[in-house]
Amino acid sequence: MYGIIDCDNCYVSCERVFRPDLNDKPVVVLSNNDGCVVARSNEAKRLGIKAGTPYYQLAQLFPNQKIAVFSSNYELYGELTGRVVEIIRQEAPAYFRYSIDECFVNLIGMDEGGLKQWGEQLHERIRHSVGIPVSIGIAPNKTLAKMASHFAKKYKGYKHCCFIDTDEKRLKALRLYPIDEVWGIGRRYAARLEAMGDHTAYDFAVHSREWVRATFNNIVIERVWRELNGEDCVPDEEMAAKKSICTSRSFPTMLTDLNAIETHVANYAARCAEKLRKQGSVASIVAVFLHTNFFREDLPQYTNFQESRLITPTSSTITIVKTAVNLLRALYRPGYRYKKAGVIIMGIGPNSPIQQDLFDINAEQFQRMSRLDKVIDRINKVNGTETIVLGSQQYASKDGTGKADVFANAIRHDFRSKNPTTRWTEILRLK
Amino acid sequence: MANIKIIKSEFKGQADLQLAPAIKAGFPSPADDYLHETLDFNRDLIRNPEATFYGRVEGDSMIEAGICDGDIAVIDRSLEAHDGDVVVGYVNEEFTIKFLDLKHHDEGYIELRPANKNFHPIRIDANDEFKVWGVVVWTIRSWR
Repeated sequence: MYGIIDCDNCYVSCERVFRPDLNDKPVVVLSNNDGCVVARSNEAKRLGIKAGTPYYQLAQLFPNQKIAVFSSNYELYGELTGRVVEIIRQEAPAYFRYSIDECFVNLIGMDEGGLKQWGEQLHERIRHSVGIPVSIGIAPNKTLAKMASHFAKKYKGYKHCCFIDTDEKRLKALRLYPIDEVWGIGRRYAARLEAMGDHTAYDFAVHSREWVRATFNNIVIERVWRELNGEDCVPDEEMAAKKSICTSRSFPTMLTDLNAIETHVANYAARCAEKLRKQGSVASIVAVFLHTNFFREDLPQYTNFQESRLITPTSSTITIVKTAVNLLRALYRPGYRYKKAGVIIMGIGPNSPIQQDLFDINAEQFQRMSRLDKVIDRINKVNGTETIVLGSQQYASKDGTGKADVFANAIRHDFRSKNPTTRWTEILRLK
Repeated sequence: MANIKIIKSEFKGQADLQLAPAIKAGFPSPADDYLHETLDFNRDLIRNPEATFYGRVEGDSMIEAGICDGDIAVIDRSLEAHDGDVVVGYVNEEFTIKFLDLKHHDEGYIELRPANKNFHPIRIDANDEFKVWGVVVWTIRSWR
């Protein structure tokens, strides 16, 4: 069985952790530069506020409404969702983070009779410990689990956890589920299916496999069809592929030795760093997965995934390789014969051009750079992000003291909340 | 792409001094059997890191309990609050640190009790929307 854990209205829920007075009130979070609405509380959705509404129109479109508005505060969202992932890591046999607010879990080896209760308790633990509500879907494959999580979110009766464990429940869910919301279908194919009269997941699932193949000749769509019919065919590592760079390979032979696997993982990590630099980006999360050969049922099986947040987003090969190897060491258990490993980097954002050039000049300079990186990391860790930034990261505008602005100040964030979990100067004030 | 070879020592970083026995000749030190990892606040005192938050105390409302202005409170959200615990509550759009008093629970109200004669307890009725935000497990004061 698989599960998906999805933070409800993630950014809004993060803001509410430190603003309990905003529970049950309309809350929106704006995009970078306070341009438009990117996250809405249920109350805001009910008022009719659409995602993407420009901020300046809010007051005109919704006069006399008290709407709490926040600038996006990714520092806070990253930290709080990291806590959610940590709890999931403790409670599930194996997990894959899929995006900032979604996590897939592989429930291999767990007693199916207890899974519904397991999900309800997981929700309760996350809500109590971190303060963020989640919705949990459990099903025999990932497509159905994603669907189940929607039902868990939509209907209170599920107590935040919906388990599609019988064919009867699967068919009922398919009938209620619009085709364009099926995971993996995509807007273009959904429109084609709609035009052919397939409005629900059920309409699509009852076609024959031959029909699907003849109509679309597309392996991904065929896989969605198979999963809707209950087959399990999406590999775990694909779950981490959204908005991320993944380098993974099966080993030529099964490996037992940590050293041998390390070399592979280091190379995958270096490849990720290369791809990252090629597209001029930096990443803030490095993750590694490792598993045995699932087809060899005669052998003991093991699968695991772990991630690490980088203090300063980077495309540095040294940093990414080191982080990946350290993660691998934490994942590795002796006594298994491993078949595949991979490195995934997430939290990808733009880099400044000057920094990249510096990186490629020569090895000596690169070494010096990375030493400098370490000092910067340490200072920023103690004194808050962007206490020290590279000259190339600075923006032209000046603040009151004549110092150049750093990135965080150069963008608009007029309504940004505090960072009580990442800065000593902003911890809760207790009267 | 050039292959990267892992040189083992590179990732070892620094060895913990405590765990690295001194270079010596002759008999091993009798202390080697008693080596232990260094005490670590984060490891030993923070039981539930994913549920732990920090707050700074403002004012003297808890001074008789030894909780002073400027102290750092370590708050664990995962714990169930019991009668007599020091808790963080959210009242009138403010976080407050007080003793939780459940004595009048059956009469339909609870109290957040200060530890200072000049302050009044905060009474919370059954129909007030109130939840303990977290339980204070430590307070830390700097002496210099």
